[in-house]
Amino acid sequence: MSDNQDLERIRQARKEWEEGPLKQSLDRFGIEESPHKVYTPLDAENHDFLEKVGFPGVPPYTRGLYPMPVPERATRGDARAPAGAYAGYGTVEDTRDLWRQQRRRGANVAFDLPTQCGYDSDDPMSRGEVGKVGIAVDTFRDFETLYEAFDGIVTLDNMSSNWTMNGMANVILAMYIALAEKKGVPQHKLRGTPQNAILKEIVARGTANFAINASMRMVRDTIVYVDKYMPQMNAISICGYHMREAGATAAQVTAYINANSIAYVQLGVDAGLDPDEFVPRHFTLLSGGGSMDFFMEIARIRASRRMWPQIMRQRFGSENPRAWFMRSTDHARVGNITTTRQRAINNVVRGVVGGIASALSGNDPVVAEEFDEPLGLGHSYEAEQLSLDASRILKDEAKLGQVLDPLAGSYYVESLTDQLEQEAWDIMKKIDDMGGAVEAVRTGWMEREIARSAYNFQRQVETGERVIVGVNKYTGENEIDITPRITLTVSHPYDVRKRAQAEEIQIAKLRRIRKERDNDRVKYALQDLQKAARDEKENLIPHLVATVKTYATWGEIANALRDVFGDYEPMTVL
Amino acid sequence: MADKRRVKVLLAKAGLDGHDRGVKVLALGLRDEGFEVIYTGLRQTPEKIAHAAIQEDADVVGMSCLSGAHGYIFPKVVELMRENGAENVLIIGGGVIPEEDVPVLKDQGIREVFLPGTPIRTIAEYIRDNVRPGE
Repeated sequence: MSDNQDLERIRQARKEWEEGPLKQSLDRFGIEESPHKVYTPLDAENHDFLEKVGFPGVPPYTRGLYPMPVPERATRGDARAPAGAYAGYGTVEDTRDLWRQQRRRGANVAFDLPTQCGYDSDDPMSRGEVGKVGIAVDTFRDFETLYEAFDGIVTLDNMSSNWTMNGMANVILAMYIALAEKKGVPQHKLRGTPQNAILKEIVARGTANFAINASMRMVRDTIVYVDKYMPQMNAISICGYHMREAGATAAQVTAYINANSIAYVQLGVDAGLDPDEFVPRHFTLLSGGGSMDFFMEIARIRASRRMWPQIMRQRFGSENPRAWFMRSTDHARVGNITTTRQRAINNVVRGVVGGIASALSGNDPVVAEEFDEPLGLGHSYEAEQLSLDASRILKDEAKLGQVLDPLAGSYYVESLTDQLEQEAWDIMKKIDDMGGAVEAVRTGWMEREIARSAYNFQRQVETGERVIVGVNKYTGENEIDITPRITLTVSHPYDVRKRAQAEEIQIAKLRRIRKERDNDRVKYALQDLQKAARDEKENLIPHLVATVKTYATWGEIANALRDVFGDYEPMTVL
Repeated sequence: MADKRRVKVLLAKAGLDGHDRGVKVLALGLRDEGFEVIYTGLRQTPEKIAHAAIQEDADVVGMSCLSGAHGYIFPKVVELMRENGAENVLIIGGGVIPEEDVPVLKDQGIREVFLPGTPIRTIAEYIRDNVRPGE
C-alpha cells in the first residue's frame, strides 16, 4: 500500500501523536489507555489491492460474488426468498389453501419437526409437535395435496421449490420426482433446493436422523443423482446460520462452513465427479448468521468470500473461477439470536444495524430480522412490514448499496478482514488435524466448541462486559417499553384454531391411508429400500421414488433406513 | 458442607426441538454455580425425562422447549413424576414460550418458567431457594 519510507514517516507521526495530543487527553481524563482505537496504513502493511480486494464478481470475490446485486430485489419484499417466504403451518390442506389464496408461484416449505426428524404424526415422539413449526407430511398424498396450491397458477417446470429438510431431504426430493412424473413434467426441468446440510444439523440444528456416515452417504446420493438427471436442482444449501445462532463466533462459523463444505465437495469428488462442474451447478450457501459486532460481520463476509477460491484451487485443483464461489444469499446481519424479548421493539433498531452492515459488505441493505422473533412462534405481518420498510428506507432514502463494498481500503476493515481470515484458517487447521469436518462433528468437538462460545457470551452478558440494552443495562424503573402488544404465536393469516386441530386431523388421514393402500406393495418397497441401503455404493434415490409411490409412510421409510444405518445419537457430554 | 450432597439438576431437551443453546449454556453455568448437572441431550419424551429424573434421583428437573410443544410436554412430565411418587422434585421450564402460557403451565405444576434473557444466577438462586434436596 505504501513504500517503506512512507511507513517510516507514518510510524514517526504516530509516535508523536501518541506522546503529544493523545497523552494530553488521557491525562485530562485521568485514564491510562484510550478506549478508542485508531488505524493507519501500518495496520495493513502488506495489503495488495488486486490480490486481496479486486473487483466485484471476479476472484478473489472479496467485494461480492457478482458484478452487481439483482436490481430492486431488496425493496420488493422477496429479498430473502425467491420461492416466497418460508412458510407452512397445520395440515397440508391449511397451507395449500393459504398459498392458493396468496397466489403463490413458488414453494418455500417449512416442515414440522416430526417430518424433519423422520417420524409419523402418530408416533409417540411426535406428540405436541404436529403442524407446529411447519406442515406435516406423512405420505406422498400430503405432498401431492400441498402442491395443489399451484394448480392452474404455475406448473412444476416453471416454478422453484425450497425445502428446509436435511436428513430426510432425499425422501422429499423423491416425492418431487414422483409428483413431476404424475404430472408429466420431465425431472430435468425441475428446479429446487433441499437444505441437506447434515453436518450442521448434527452440530447445531438438531434434526439429524441417521448415524453420521450414512447421513453423508445420503448427501452423496443427492449430489450424484442431481448431477446426472437434474441439471437445475441444487443438491445442498450449506449453512452456518444455525451454528452461529447456537453460539459460534464469526471466526468459528467461517471455519466450520468451509470445513463442512470441503467434506461435501469431497463426497462428489470421491464419487468420480468433477468439482468444477458440480460445485457451481449444484451447491449453494445459505447464511453464516450474524451478531451485533458490526465491523466484524462485514469482515466475516469479505473474508469468507475470499477463502473459498483458495480452498477450491488448493484442495481440489479447481481451474474454473465459477466454482470459486457458491451461489449465496449470505450477507452481514445481526441474526435472530440478537433479538431480545425485553423491550422487543428495540429489535427493529438491531435489525437496521444488520441492514447497514449488509450494505457495507457488498450486498443490498437487507434487514433480515423481525422484532417479534423472541415473542413466540412465527412473525406478525406488522413485524414483517417494519423490517421490509427498514430495508427500503436504507436503500431508497439513505441510498445504501449504491457503492459496493465501500469500506474496501479502510485500514481498519482490511486489517480486521485479514485477522478474521487468519483465525478461520487456524481453526480449519485444527479440523484437518483431527481428520476433517466429519470427524470434528462425529466426536462432538464442533458442538462442544460452539457450546463453549455460547457460554462465554452469556458470561460476558452476566458480568456486564457485553451490554444488551434493556436486558442487562438501562433496566431502571423509569425506562418504558413501547412494544406494541402482540400475542399471536403465529403470523397473522394463520388460523390458530386450525393449527391446534392439525394433530388430530393429520393422524386420522394417516390411519385412513394405512388402511386404503396396498400394504403388500409397501412391504416389498421397504424391503427393496433396505436392501439398497445395505449396499453403500447404491444410490437410494430411485428406490425412494419407488417407495414413496406406494404411500409408504414417512416414519416407515425413516425407520427402515434407521434399521440399516443406525440412529442419530444426540450428544450429552458438554 | 461435607454431609450434604450437591443439588442434582437434570436438564432435558423436550420433544423434537433442536434449539439447545440455552439449555447447554445453563448446564455449563449451573455446573459453575456448584450444582451437579446431568444433560439428557435432544429428543427426550416426557417418559424418558421422568424416567431419567427418577433413575438419577434428581432434585430438580429443568426442561427446555422452543418449538411450541411445551403445552403438552411440560405438564406430562409433572404428571408422570407424580404418578411415580416423585412430587418433591422441583420441576421448572424455559424457552421461547408466550407469556400468556406461563400461568397455565404454573397451574399444571411447573413451578417456574424462565423466559429468554434470564441470567443464569437468577435460575441458580431460584433453585437454591426452592429445592428440597433428597437425603
